Amino acid sequence: MIEIKQLAKKFAVENPKKLSEQEKKDPRLKGRYFHSVQDVSFTCQKGEVLGLLGPNGAGKTTTLRMLSTALKPDGGSVEIDGDNVLTNPVIARKKIGFLSGSTGLYGRLTGRENIHYFGQLHGMSEDAIVSRVAELADLLDMHGFLDRRSENFSTGMKQKTAIARAVVHSPELVILDEPTTGLDIMATQTVLDFIRELKEQGTPVIFSTHHLDEVQELCDKVTVIDQGRTMFDGDIASFKALAAGSLHQSFMTAIQTSTGE
Amino acid sequence: MWLVFKKEIKELLRDRKTLFFMIALPLLIFPLIFGIVGFVSKQAIDKAETQVLNYALVGGQYAPEIVKELQQPEKFKRVEIAENADYSEIIRNETVDFVLEIPANYSSDVLANGQANIKLYFNDAGLNLVYTRVNEIVASQSEVFQQSAFATLGLNEAKQSALIEPIVLEKVNTADDRENWGEKIGGMLPYLLFIICLTGAMAPATDIGAGEKERGTLETLLISPIDRNKIVMGKFLTIAFAGTMTALITVASMVIWGLVLSQGMAIKFVADFMAQIAMLDFLLIFLMLVPVVAIFAAVLLSISIYAKSFKEAQSYMGPMTILVIVPIMLALLPGVELKGAWAWVPITNVSLAMKELVKGTMDYYQLFAIFGSTVIIAGALFAFCVYWFNQEKVLFR
Repeated sequence: MIEIKQLAKKFAVENPKKLSEQEKKDPRLKGRYFHSVQDVSFTCQKGEVLGLLGPNGAGKTTTLRMLSTALKPDGGSVEIDGDNVLTNPVIARKKIGFLSGSTGLYGRLTGRENIHYFGQLHGMSEDAIVSRVAELADLLDMHGFLDRRSENFSTGMKQKTAIARAVVHSPELVILDEPTTGLDIMATQTVLDFIRELKEQGTPVIFSTHHLDEVQELCDKVTVIDQGRTMFDGDIASFKALAAGSLHQSFMTAIQTSTGE
Repeated sequence: MWLVFKKEIKELLRDRKTLFFMIALPLLIFPLIFGIVGFVSKQAIDKAETQVLNYALVGGQYAPEIVKELQQPEKFKRVEIAENADYSEIIRNETVDFVLEIPANYSSDVLANGQANIKLYFNDAGLNLVYTRVNEIVASQSEVFQQSAFATLGLNEAKQSALIEPIVLEKVNTADDRENWGEKIGGMLPYLLFIICLTGAMAPATDIGAGEKERGTLETLLISPIDRNKIVMGKFLTIAFAGTMTALITVASMVIWGLVLSQGMAIKFVADFMAQIAMLDFLLIFLMLVPVVAIFAAVLLSISIYAKSFKEAQSYMGPMTILVIVPIMLALLPGVELKGAWAWVPITNVSLAMKELVKGTMDYYQLFAIFGSTVIIAGALFAFCVYWFNQEKVLFR
């Protein structure tokens, strides 16, 4: 189980004059700091898929980066099965598989070598890596291109390789940052199928997205953030109940509770 | 750490473009430069030697011997010119290659007529052998006249040479060959080694830092359960390794091709020179390179990881080459020696030490200062690199 409590992160503003008008109006800008994430809390149980929603610049990526230990939060806590991610980042990293929409591969290595390398970085044994790669290649149907250099891969092949790389160490939690952004329909389907697969295996998944149909299809829980604060945190049924009609209406309602006040 | 190193090297070896600059270029560029320069200059000299020179003669009636000598159709061709012709004009428009003006007092009896001043007008800018070829003829005549004058005076051989040059200042060089040539070659060595090291390390450095950022692989690497300093170490070693290898390959190629292309005497000279430098000194030259490469690698890695893209990294690295040349130039200044404070100036001290080692006049105690200061600086820069790699504002710019 994953528990995130009152996560907060501020960035120093190097040159306040460079900010755009819109950024200056943002209430999160306080003095020389931009409080990107101010108060984000949510939980995710085993086997649940959590959809993280929010407008651009709401703090989704920052939140997920803090979850994945790439960034250090200024406040709050992240616990995975009782292990504090902030005090024990190395242990936490072994439990997390992270994939973002902008992730790249090492172009001069083959698909297999890309995955293998991260297996090694995770301290897996040679045999374990080989069998795991074979397993993932079956699962994601990668045998056709696994031994080619990844610089010539199509977007779909790249995404499959990136997925395999993110979960080579069989993580206990998978975090996906806008995994389907910029992908074609086929590649998107690969990602969605993969999330479904994880769900069946009981691995919790947290992913951010702008596609509400994906949320409808996969998610058990929904968290909406806006301006660095959690605006809604609950299961999909109560999210739907926020407004009559489509999920878009629910989303707008969730956000308006903040701006309206 | 070795994991990261191994993977980076593997990637590096598969990058044809980088490899080309690291290995093929130094391997091919030296023979090419030697070859082209040698070929072209030989052609030019051959041409200047065999070319038939057009000349005009003024006052030829005073020196029948010279006129006779110039009558070699395969070498010289006489051209008649107007009496009041402007010499520079006719040389410029290539009517003649030179004009020889013989004075009226020209005579075989030097004792009676004094020194004859023959004027040779020609265009001496650029490569030509006009003076050499005319001088050959004039000098032999001059000697004939000298001998006949000595004979008239009845001087013996000792008196003759004393008269030609009453006082001789003889140069006795206490520096042996090695010191002599070491000063020249040893001064150039750091230039070459450092610059090559730096350029060789630059390509992988850009790829390893800014490249990872640009391709979006950095974030994934950072959240893998491996210590940051191991990542830094692995990358740092790769850059240092690439730099050292480039330098080694270049020097090896230079030596080999130098030996191949410079035939005969030069080989013996080079071989003799090399034989005088002890194995230990060679080893020390190489060892000296290590901390310098470490400095370069740390700086390059810091720059590279700070940059957002390849392009940004490259524009930051450009000025580094110039910055590196300054301390090397300091080492070539007169009065800058491997003593006292200079022994602690990084890069300058290594340049000086390389020179001393080649010359064979190394004060080995200075090695402590050199290694001390270089290791301290390299260590500090490396620590900065690790610190840099832990800064969110650097990694997620």
